[in-house]
Amino acid sequence: MNSLEFTIQQIINAVSLGSLYAMVAVGLSMVFGILKMTNFAHGDMMMTGSYATVLLSALGVPFPIAIVAGIAVSALTGILAERIAYRPVRGAPDVTLLLTSLALTYVLENLAILIFSGSPRSFPTPDWMNEVFAFSDGAITFTSVDIISSTSAILSLLGLGWFVSHTTTGLGMRAAAEDMAAAALVGLDINRLIVIAFAIASGFAGLAGMLWAAQSGIIEPDMGFSPLLKAFVAAIVGGFGSIAGAVLGGYLLGALEILIVGFGPTELSPYRDAIVFALLIVFLLFRPGGIMQANREVKL
Amino acid sequence: MVFKSLSRTALFGVAIAACVAGQASAADPIKIGGAFNLTGGQASLDGPAKNGAQMAIDAINAAGGVNGRPLELVVYDGKTDPAIITSLASQLINSDKVSAVIGFSDSDPVLALGPTAQKAGVPFVAVGATSPKLPDQIGDHMFLACFGDNTQAAVGASFAITELKAKTTYVLEDTANEYATLLSKYFRETFEQLGGTVLGRDTYKTDDKSFAAQITKIKASAQKPDFIYVAATPDTIGLIVRQIRQAGLKQPIVGGDGYDTPLLLEVAGAAANNVYYTTHSFITETSTGAIKTFYDAYKTAYGTAPENAFAALGYDAAMLVADAIKRAGSDDPAKITTALAETKDLPGIAGAISYAAGSRIPVKGVTVVGVKDKALYKAAELVPTFVPAP
Amino acid sequence: MNRILILAGLASLALCAWVLPLIVSDYVVRLLIMVCINIVLVGSMCLANGFTGVFSLGQVGFVAIGAYVSGILSLSLADKASYLPDLPMFLAHIEMATLPATLIAGLVCAAIAIVVGLPLMRLSGHHVSVATMGFMIIVNVVIINADSFTRGARTFTGVPTDMTLPWVVGWAVLAIFLLARLIYSPIGLALRSVREDVIAAQAVGLPVLGTRLLAFSFGAFLAGVGGSLYGHYLGSFSAQTFFFPLMVSLITMLVLGGMSSLSGVVTGVIVVTALSEMLRNLERGVHLGPVSIPPLFGASQVVLGLLFILVMIYRPRGLFEDREISSVFKRRKQRSNS
Repeated sequence: MNSLEFTIQQIINAVSLGSLYAMVAVGLSMVFGILKMTNFAHGDMMMTGSYATVLLSALGVPFPIAIVAGIAVSALTGILAERIAYRPVRGAPDVTLLLTSLALTYVLENLAILIFSGSPRSFPTPDWMNEVFAFSDGAITFTSVDIISSTSAILSLLGLGWFVSHTTTGLGMRAAAEDMAAAALVGLDINRLIVIAFAIASGFAGLAGMLWAAQSGIIEPDMGFSPLLKAFVAAIVGGFGSIAGAVLGGYLLGALEILIVGFGPTELSPYRDAIVFALLIVFLLFRPGGIMQANREVKL
Repeated sequence: MVFKSLSRTALFGVAIAACVAGQASAADPIKIGGAFNLTGGQASLDGPAKNGAQMAIDAINAAGGVNGRPLELVVYDGKTDPAIITSLASQLINSDKVSAVIGFSDSDPVLALGPTAQKAGVPFVAVGATSPKLPDQIGDHMFLACFGDNTQAAVGASFAITELKAKTTYVLEDTANEYATLLSKYFRETFEQLGGTVLGRDTYKTDDKSFAAQITKIKASAQKPDFIYVAATPDTIGLIVRQIRQAGLKQPIVGGDGYDTPLLLEVAGAAANNVYYTTHSFITETSTGAIKTFYDAYKTAYGTAPENAFAALGYDAAMLVADAIKRAGSDDPAKITTALAETKDLPGIAGAISYAAGSRIPVKGVTVVGVKDKALYKAAELVPTFVPAP
Repeated sequence: MNRILILAGLASLALCAWVLPLIVSDYVVRLLIMVCINIVLVGSMCLANGFTGVFSLGQVGFVAIGAYVSGILSLSLADKASYLPDLPMFLAHIEMATLPATLIAGLVCAAIAIVVGLPLMRLSGHHVSVATMGFMIIVNVVIINADSFTRGARTFTGVPTDMTLPWVVGWAVLAIFLLARLIYSPIGLALRSVREDVIAAQAVGLPVLGTRLLAFSFGAFLAGVGGSLYGHYLGSFSAQTFFFPLMVSLITMLVLGGMSSLSGVVTGVIVVTALSEMLRNLERGVHLGPVSIPPLFGASQVVLGLLFILVMIYRPRGLFEDREISSVFKRRKQRSNS
């Protein structure tokens, strides 16, 4: 394997990982854009959808239908979370929203342990999803899951971009993100917009969870937490509240991680998470609006 | 329902009568503490361990109990929180007054509970904590139900050299986890001691889902390793094996008892071929005798095959304590400790258990399980020649 | 009059701390010890989180540093040689008593807080929360990788377990006393004005960054002390002991009681501890005559989490909001005087 092949292989790895981060980060950013809310429970939407898919396919439901149903379950969990937990505290200081979502994570993860036990379960992917493509005598390899996650990430993100810039609902969401009071004043149904935002964000999380599970082969109650933390970094680095920023941040983060592990000295790779979060702090300090300069925060 | 409540009242009456008599009735259960992290980070390890232990207790009671008295497993959830574990230690020992304690599959909780049991003189059998240092760290009432990691790592290394004819290896280890870090350390020590070369070493964390970067580095290394040693926990092993094979690496993959989970075959499928791991015993659908009975009973009771090696170890730990109580002829903790230390050739699901004089880590053969055509087979059963110091 | 009352209260508290372990079960004593340690830890959070409006999610990082620093300092020389053979010379030959080790742990945390806080305290809102959470994750990664100081992912053990009830009661009282002195002083007024309106505070010449930094580093000092106490209570811990689960439970206590009130801190710790112990014993299954509920392990966390959400909805500023028990008495007294 020469260095060009090595680099190409690592680029493929980075795109595949970045796609997953991007899809989780987009939902975080959407919700943040409208509600100015740091949503810790976002990762759990990955979990609920994946469990639904596994249960349905165990019951004999064809895999593609189970996937769609799983995404619907994720979206539904998001809507319920908004209706039951977040709406009553809307308008409170942002820390209250953050803490409520933290408590909700705690509830959802322990409920999942209570119902499904803490043991991981295998995620039954059909064989065509695990097919391996090899080039240059096997020096460069990728799987159909890699392709599916990258393409579905790019397609769905493009779709989302079109939705927020070309539909009335999407434009309304952007208006609400800009100034909720003014949006309400001109007659936009804020509650409806927020519910739609949560449904879309959670649906994306569900899809990401599915791809995550297909790639890792297992699901477990706390499967959403670690990607959620990474998605925070991606969303903030890209510009919290900006959809394009979240996508950009996701891919940058994927690249950074692969760069550290693949190209850095071996001693550096266990410090990967520390480097990622140090980057987050640097961004918060020197470019709090992220790369896209969204939502400028007042700083001392 | 009526009958049930009637019988309960009757039992209550008997209990009162027993109290009045001021003597423990013969039917009074002997209490064994069951301390497990059923929620929190270690739930996936301890859940099966608790199931196995409960099965053993139920089986003993169905057969008439020990010394004419039934056993009761007093279960507490440690929630993977050391503060709660110290509280439940006190509840078990000072409030429930258990005769012995079994539980936990990791050093952290064992070290949180152990000192309380030691101080009270109550024997404590750790189900799945394989750090060989534990008995000396805690004291003479602390026992392990399984071999130390140094033993299985040594067997893994010598198996690779003698059976796989390997001279070089590449090590991948989970750094977020004591079990995997120790296993990797002991393996590297033995492998080099036996004349092998460790070409490289890389790390990941339990939560990681993509090992692509690490694997690409193995592919790119100038000298191809004869096999890859991956020190992993049950939650990640299927995934790592699958990704290694998808990347086109065909070498044998060797590891420890973290591989002993249905997830290895479920997740990795055909990719698991040419994987070898050291574990406590060979437990599958095709096993025979007591192991088959255990396997089937577990499946009936919990609707799934034993999730990992800790299910069998939990069963054995409970059997170990029951056997000691029987030989001690009493529920006195001190006598049970003495009897435990004298355990000899007790047949267990995860191998026969004996304690050598002065050691509270069982002397056990290590089973090496291999994977061929998407099926497990017993590749070897070895006692290591060289074991690194704990 | 007031002083005599306080002194009498303290004396009876001390007496209780000495006598109580003889009367109640060991289990209750342990709970009380955890309550006192948690009062120090939650108290350490209330200063920054409740009084300056900088909601830090990273306090557990300081708790970890405190536990490890004090653990390394007070480990016996023999244990040091066997557990931490690669320790640098200047640490390898130190074996310290718990008290000085605890104070040093607190000071180390305060010093780190100044360095970390200098940039971080410039942020506000959720940005500071996320950034401090990043700090906690970085501390966790460093602990796992600083093998020669911390044993890496392996359990750090051998710390003398010498936390008795009188000790921790003393620390809890001292922590509350110090916090009360600070909060109900001119500095405390400055803290609250920074919380209420940053720009107005700046306009009247308050050094906002300095005020926040003071609160953050004093909080870190207490967190380090509390971490040391916790470490000496457990005797063994690892990096995972000081991570998200601990953060969530400390925050629950802080928010339930009311983070802008010391009475709230104490009440929050007591209520949450009592409640979670009650639920933890209930979830093991209930047998009441013919009715029996099988064990539901994990139910206690679900109920606690739901309760947390309810508090957020119906009483977002906690049970006490920003009032103190003493102010209630004072008001009553004023009313009866007039």
